[in-house]
Amino acid sequence: MLNDVTFGQYYPTKSFVHKADPRIKLLALIAYIVALFLANNFYSLLLGFVVLVAAVIASRVPLGSVLRSVKAIIFLLIFTAVLNLFFHGGEHLLVEWWIIKIYREGVIFTVFFILRLFFLVMGSALLTLTTSPVELTDGIESLLTPLKWIRFPVHELALIMSIALRFIPTLIDETNRIISAQKARGADFESGNIFKRIKAIVPILIPLLISAFRRAEELGDAMDARCYSGSKNRTKYKKLKFGWRDLIIFILYAGLITGVVLLNFYAYRIFPEIYEFIRLS
Amino acid sequence: MTEQEAIVFENVKFSYPGSDGVFAVNGVSLTVKKGEFLSVIGHNGSGKSTLARLTNGLLEADAGKITVLGLDVAEGKNSLEIRKHVGIVFQNPDNQMVASIVEDDVAFGPENIGIEREEIGRRIEWALKAVGMEEYRRSTPTRLSGGQKQRIAVAGVLAVKPEILILDESTAMLDPKGRREVIEVVRRLNKEEGITVILITHFMEEALLADRAIVMNRGEIVLQGTPEEIFESGDRLEMYNLCLPRITEIINTLNGAGMKLDNVLRPEELAEGIIKNLSARGISNAKSSPASPAEINSSHEWDIDVKNLTFTYSKKSPFATKALKGINLHIDDGEFFGIIGHTGSGKSTLVQHLNALIKLPQAEKKYRRKKVKKGRPAPVLPEITVGQFNLADKKTDFKALRANVGMVFQYPEYQLFAESVFADVAFGLKNFNKKLSAEEVEKAVRESIEIVGLDYNEVKDKSPFDLSGGQKRRVAIAGVIVTKPRILILDEPAAGLDPLGKKEIMELLHKLHREWCNTVIIVSHDMDEVAENCTKAAVIAGGEVVFAESPSKLFARGNEILSLGLDVPLTSKICAELEKSGVEVECDCTAEDFSRKIIEIYGGGENA
Repeated sequence: MLNDVTFGQYYPTKSFVHKADPRIKLLALIAYIVALFLANNFYSLLLGFVVLVAAVIASRVPLGSVLRSVKAIIFLLIFTAVLNLFFHGGEHLLVEWWIIKIYREGVIFTVFFILRLFFLVMGSALLTLTTSPVELTDGIESLLTPLKWIRFPVHELALIMSIALRFIPTLIDETNRIISAQKARGADFESGNIFKRIKAIVPILIPLLISAFRRAEELGDAMDARCYSGSKNRTKYKKLKFGWRDLIIFILYAGLITGVVLLNFYAYRIFPEIYEFIRLS
Repeated sequence: MTEQEAIVFENVKFSYPGSDGVFAVNGVSLTVKKGEFLSVIGHNGSGKSTLARLTNGLLEADAGKITVLGLDVAEGKNSLEIRKHVGIVFQNPDNQMVASIVEDDVAFGPENIGIEREEIGRRIEWALKAVGMEEYRRSTPTRLSGGQKQRIAVAGVLAVKPEILILDESTAMLDPKGRREVIEVVRRLNKEEGITVILITHFMEEALLADRAIVMNRGEIVLQGTPEEIFESGDRLEMYNLCLPRITEIINTLNGAGMKLDNVLRPEELAEGIIKNLSARGISNAKSSPASPAEINSSHEWDIDVKNLTFTYSKKSPFATKALKGINLHIDDGEFFGIIGHTGSGKSTLVQHLNALIKLPQAEKKYRRKKVKKGRPAPVLPEITVGQFNLADKKTDFKALRANVGMVFQYPEYQLFAESVFADVAFGLKNFNKKLSAEEVEKAVRESIEIVGLDYNEVKDKSPFDLSGGQKRRVAIAGVIVTKPRILILDEPAAGLDPLGKKEIMELLHKLHREWCNTVIIVSHDMDEVAENCTKAAVIAGGEVVFAESPSKLFARGNEILSLGLDVPLTSKICAELEKSGVEVECDCTAEDFSRKIIEIYGGGENA
């Protein structure tokens, strides 16, 4: 049932993108999303596509893995695409059937919309594929540090995330063991209607909860014994460092945003006929 | 209070809230000197772990005074200072780690006390080196073995640079190899770094390594002295629910027969002593009569047969590991069978195949026979039969199989869930046979609760979570045997129990073997346990069956077994030593049988 030992979708290789600082990757993702939403024409979007392709190539993650991430939102994509297609108004009518009218502008907008979401999801997937959960936590903690000024418990939050990550594999193992043990006592988790199945989960859930509480208690003792007393007077061993890779990424994404903004204003000068045809209203 | 004293307890009392005034620690006075190696022995619930938690202020004493390095524990302002000086390593290695990367975890302690970054780096290096884990600095703890994880936990405590290290049953959950690793590290820290060590344990063999030992019973110190002195008072130890180390038991039996042996603690020394005694009677070369292999009366109705079994975990992922590489094994109906191997050898994976918790590929619903390419031999498919059940057949009634092949997992008490003992034990029964009447269910549940040695009327309505550890385990076993399985498989049935608990569980299994089931299979890494109990045993290493023989034949191959990273029973170590001096003892590896044969030889001497 829970056979996969790995969690998250981290794809371990030693690429340029993997070695980059998690903070710059997080910021780059934010910049990328901003760029995608700033883009108001296909030329700007094309620039976003080029950057995405470059990032995927530099990450050395198989294209299949990146594309698989889109699978999760495919239903959402189709649903919104259909709505847009049917209800977007315009001037050039293409199809008219019963109450449905499809305009050329609607088609263009739908394509634009789908591509934007597509790039967005692939960009985010690339972050989780190239950054291990541990690095990601460190990155988030570091980026949130300024919030300490408004008494936001950054350190506690980071510790909670770190402990959660640490215990996910342990609890998965535990769950598997309990499932096997109850199966050996004739428990059946795979047949029956929905209510029977929910009821069948009780013999797994209760031992799991009890064990989680026991672990929490023991962990608390162990942390106490190792002098834990909150974030006061605490130092941090791990320090993230920016390197040349991060500078390159920074320049690239600064370039992307500048490019998108420039294209937003001056794109109409490039192949004006094509621009006019695919212009978003 | 002098400079030399690390910890002083003065008439300390402590009771847990809700324990009705029963003192977990009752008037303990104790002084631990700096640099000392002290072991604290006691059965589960004797108060020995409470002692550890009192020392660093995790628990507060009700009465009496505790002083650590001159600091009063009761004073709140001292608590952080004391925790810096007293490091505790707990029982479960999994529940002590906060980070997913080894170095981050080791850094946790120093970070808490505000050490500078560069110094933390140096401390991580030093601590990991001290426990021999420097290569694993960037690894993930989840992929390490139990012993390795526990060494990381020790490193995490060391990085705070404590002067006192307390191990609170830190070896209880480890296999013998992991236990040796941890104990070796602790000994070295004591000798080379001068760290004061308090080793809390119920393994008598570990307690022997200390300079001084104390025995706890019902919250009181009942014995103290050097390990040798402690073990001389053998009968009293049994009163405190403890056992003598096997070696001391043998010495006592031999001395009872007129031999004069010193109370030694190592097999080589004992062998030497025996030789001396024998030569005093003019016996130099001797050979005992060969052991008579215990013949079992097998009807072969419930034989288990495994052929070419292979298994790979996490197939098609970057973490794919081959757990089994072609297992061939036959277990006769009626055996008390042992499966030996250390953690990760594939033994648990093997037994999970026997009741189809892991199904053979052919038995999966989606299985399609692969086309055989011309000119190539057909791939060998694994086969398992258990009694009349063919596990390679999709149509096999797997539910009926599981009712007949009971499986008790490691720490089975963690799988209890129901609101009452009765409901928990009846769970399996009702799953397998939904048509049973209430009377039939009650009868079966009553029988199985009684055979595991519990009082039916007393426990049936209790919540299983209110029972003691040993009782919980019995309830869990009752919940498996309630269907009267013909074959009972137990994964490490005695893990985590104290010596008496272990003895009782093994006695229970023999009783079940006699009266309840045909075959009992135990998976174990305790060689003595296998030698003392099993009629036949298989050694699994690297996913293959290396040997499958009776224990006496098996352990005669001492060196081969040692080379697999496994231990051999104490008796076979002594036998090997004796053989060097020309005394050949063939014994079936139980302490009893060994003593009898030595006495036989001794009695046959010229000067007798």
